[in-house]
Amino acid sequence: MNALERMGRTPIAALEFANIVLTERDAQIAVTPKDVVWTHRTTTLYRYRSSARAYAIPVVLVFALINRPDIFDLRAGNSFVEFLLDEGYDVYLLDWGVPDEADSELGLEHYVCDEIPSALREVRRTSGQEETTLLGWCIGGTLSLLHCALEPATSVRNLVLLTTPIDTTGSLYSTWVARDSFDVDRVADVYGAVPGRTVDWANKLMKPVTNYWTTYRRLWQQVLAGEARRDAYQAMAKWVADNPPFPGRAYREWITWMYKENRLVRGRMRLRERRARMSAVEQNLLVVTAGADHIAPRQGTLPVLDQVASADVTHLDRPGGHIGLMAGSKARKEVWPDIAEWLGERSDA
Amino acid sequence: MAEERPTPEEEARRLYDEAEARVAKAAERVVSRESFGEVLAMATENVVALTRIGFDAMDLVWSNLRLAGRRDITRLARQIGRTEDKLEQVLQEVEALREEVDTASDNGAKPASGAKPASARRRAPRSSSR
Repeated sequence: MNALERMGRTPIAALEFANIVLTERDAQIAVTPKDVVWTHRTTTLYRYRSSARAYAIPVVLVFALINRPDIFDLRAGNSFVEFLLDEGYDVYLLDWGVPDEADSELGLEHYVCDEIPSALREVRRTSGQEETTLLGWCIGGTLSLLHCALEPATSVRNLVLLTTPIDTTGSLYSTWVARDSFDVDRVADVYGAVPGRTVDWANKLMKPVTNYWTTYRRLWQQVLAGEARRDAYQAMAKWVADNPPFPGRAYREWITWMYKENRLVRGRMRLRERRARMSAVEQNLLVVTAGADHIAPRQGTLPVLDQVASADVTHLDRPGGHIGLMAGSKARKEVWPDIAEWLGERSDA
Repeated sequence: MAEERPTPEEEARRLYDEAEARVAKAAERVVSRESFGEVLAMATENVVALTRIGFDAMDLVWSNLRLAGRRDITRLARQIGRTEDKLEQVLQEVEALREEVDTASDNGAKPASGAKPASARRRAPRSSSR
């Protein structure tokens, strides 16, 4: 494209760019058909409809508390859920919903000791299978690990942890919130439910130029070159901007226990008077880390490999960021098949 | 064969990309400093304090207008939440008892009176109260 052509195309490109950015909320995400199996408070357990089931052991997906779990089913053609269904798995999704101020007293124990066990119970009841695979991503991975550490009789056979924070020493989050001057109690008390926007803002502030400028600059260049992938951009942008509030008590516990006191890796995490020791985890374990993860850095996940008692432990380290690892353009070819292969060997074909 | 020289436009693009990458790295270094963490903590405290003043002022206005305020609605919502927790516990107990009856009848024992046939024991999906 020469300078004259570019000049002529600029007004149209500006219009298209504005249209893509302004209509991102209309993007269709999480469209794979699913049924509600169980609800309690803000939590909902969904089951995806599958027509070609090849494996007996169902997969239960658990996401973090700071974003919606739609990332598992981002858009048609780029959906991990769709991929698992095509591979022949029975897929469930545990959605934490959108808490508000009335849920401010919900702590980590609510998610680990109440919701995950209840959801697994419903999975057993509806699937007819006694065992399950629990796949947690980010905080969802930590919650899943805590569940396995606290419940020796759990139905979880396979535990999959994706970019999961375990040891927060040296992480950027730790630099920000582990200091005494960051008064987590005041934040939790005043807000009740910490606004999702603030958590999103903090995440973006970790790479300010990339998140606030480069993303839009790249989109502009793609639009100008006529190469913009509207559906991909809008789906991701919509998901990124959809941040549910973090219940005050859970936020306080997460920041204090994981960042200020680093309890999990020190074996000092206690929920409902029970100590969560990683050495009590005996499930088949798959740990997936991302080389360029700045939210849950790789070195902060690795201690789990040495501390669990599992006889079957696999570690996959892949390039990519915290989210890009599973939702990026290469995930479908470079990450999902590896996870499916690992699951396939442990899911009773 | 001589190497093809970049056009001025390509050169400008390369220089811009380099500059942007440098600025991005520099910004990441800034936000990872202890001093930035300190500033962030202080800024957060100020925002939280302003929010609290705003909430308190709004609550005072609603209260003087004799209207239900944020706290009243939150209190009611919490009570509904606790009721739902208790209902969930009761439902789980009922299901456990049904399973026991089921197991007993499978083992040849006579089911307790009032127990439903197996087909009726499946619990329908429940809806949230909110």
